[in-house]
Amino acid sequence: MTSAGTDLVELAKAAIEYCYDQGWTDGLPVVPATAADVAACLATTPHPADEIIGSQPHLGRSVTVAQAAANAIMAGCKPEYFPVVLAAWQAVTHERSSRGAWQSTSGPAPLIVVNGPVRTRLRINYAGGAFGPGFRPNATIGRAIGLIVRNGYGVRPQELEQATQGLPGRWSVCLGENEEMSPWEPLSVVGGVPAGVDAVSAMLIRTVEYIDNRSTDSAEAVLTDFADTLARMGAYVGGPHSSGGLVLGPEHAQLLGNAGYRRTDVQQWLFEHAVRDPAEMAAAGKGEHVGDGPFRMLPSAEAIPIVVAGAANAAMSMVFRPFGWAAWTGRSVPVEWKEQ
Amino acid sequence: MFETIVDPTVGPAETVERGRPSLAQRPESLAGLRLGLLANTKRNAEQFLADVGRELADHYGIVPVVAVKKPNIVETAPAELMSELTEHCDIVVAGVGDCGSCSASAVADGILLEQAGIPAAVIISDAFTVSANAMADLRNAPGYAYVTTPHPVANLTADGVRARAAQAVPGIVALLTEPVMAAASA
Repeated sequence: MTSAGTDLVELAKAAIEYCYDQGWTDGLPVVPATAADVAACLATTPHPADEIIGSQPHLGRSVTVAQAAANAIMAGCKPEYFPVVLAAWQAVTHERSSRGAWQSTSGPAPLIVVNGPVRTRLRINYAGGAFGPGFRPNATIGRAIGLIVRNGYGVRPQELEQATQGLPGRWSVCLGENEEMSPWEPLSVVGGVPAGVDAVSAMLIRTVEYIDNRSTDSAEAVLTDFADTLARMGAYVGGPHSSGGLVLGPEHAQLLGNAGYRRTDVQQWLFEHAVRDPAEMAAAGKGEHVGDGPFRMLPSAEAIPIVVAGAANAAMSMVFRPFGWAAWTGRSVPVEWKEQ
Repeated sequence: MFETIVDPTVGPAETVERGRPSLAQRPESLAGLRLGLLANTKRNAEQFLADVGRELADHYGIVPVVAVKKPNIVETAPAELMSELTEHCDIVVAGVGDCGSCSASAVADGILLEQAGIPAAVIISDAFTVSANAMADLRNAPGYAYVTTPHPVANLTADGVRARAAQAVPGIVALLTEPVMAAASA
């Protein structure tokens, strides 16, 4: 109990402090959730309040729709974001790599990609600064996933969560795809959802790293630059392969599209060219299981997800690094809205 | 004052069994007992346990009979592996908990084996005692004892693993024979 008295601002601050005291926050202030907030979220989705949407059997914990709603509100979501939060949660959960991700030393982040008209309706940023910050749905939908993990599963840093270094912005990597400037079909169409349907795709990633290449009009030159970063040895974790994907800036995407490359052509090119010499691998202490010839650093062409996001104001792109040996399942999740 | 704030940690009805798990009774001697080894997929884990098994056979008269590797480091060993161990073994050594999730799940495996009546010794690398203890708390076995080995294990050579296994053996023997579990007092 604080001495907030009747000053409403002091009361609001005291409520935020109360949430800190309960151990409910990720370090930033949360919006205290009420039963009315949870009801407002539930009104947006066909899923019932007590439906279980995720379980960690080894922890004896499960998460319900209502619990996800409380955490979404706390993250700063508006109730109308909630169907996207649920789709994002489902997309993350059906990725095989999510089973151990929350406790892992790798400390991976969900990369959440939104397609469809919902991007404009909710103002989910897919243009300049798509990786953030500055846009409420992008920042809070990702954060909701993190709070569900923390409060729903009880996985907290330096307890059950054992991230060695963690990741900047771990719970805020949510962006729209820039469908308007992409030369290709939406990612969600690759993921099995019809064009024009709101959908979310997700992977767990360990980082993103930029490729800045504004000096060529050659598609192959840009692809060569991508392949070099994709073949970085530091990302190789032993076993069969490392993995990688691309969030292409619109300029790079259009350069490739105008040169006649389909998305699958880009994937195939990168699969074939992201290679390392086994001797280099050995010199870095990573020479086991890499064979004799050029070693392909990526698992397959299909396992190199390609997304388009950002502004067409400079020719730069991001490589992202999936967690573990995982490749994207290739399954997008349609956003389900309650029929009005 | 803030009763109207929803507690975001409250999930569906508890799925974990409450109450302290009962731990297996300790044998007076290890000689002649059948040993099971429950490895995870972390690098050097199987070798570490195999070396422990050899030491226990050479110096304590234990008979290694089962060596299994669980397929997933995050979750507890699947039922078929558990029954293989409980049907054919008198004692089990499990590990090595040398990552965030596998340290916790190794402790969970140990507690499940104890509940099935099998004395178990779990090996955890000393970088992961926090998550191991968190799992023990989650399973209502605060103070659950395990053997630690210095982190890391994954980069050890075969000789290094053997030396480490030998170091761990006295602690393993103590866990398998002495009533050291805080949770055993229930």
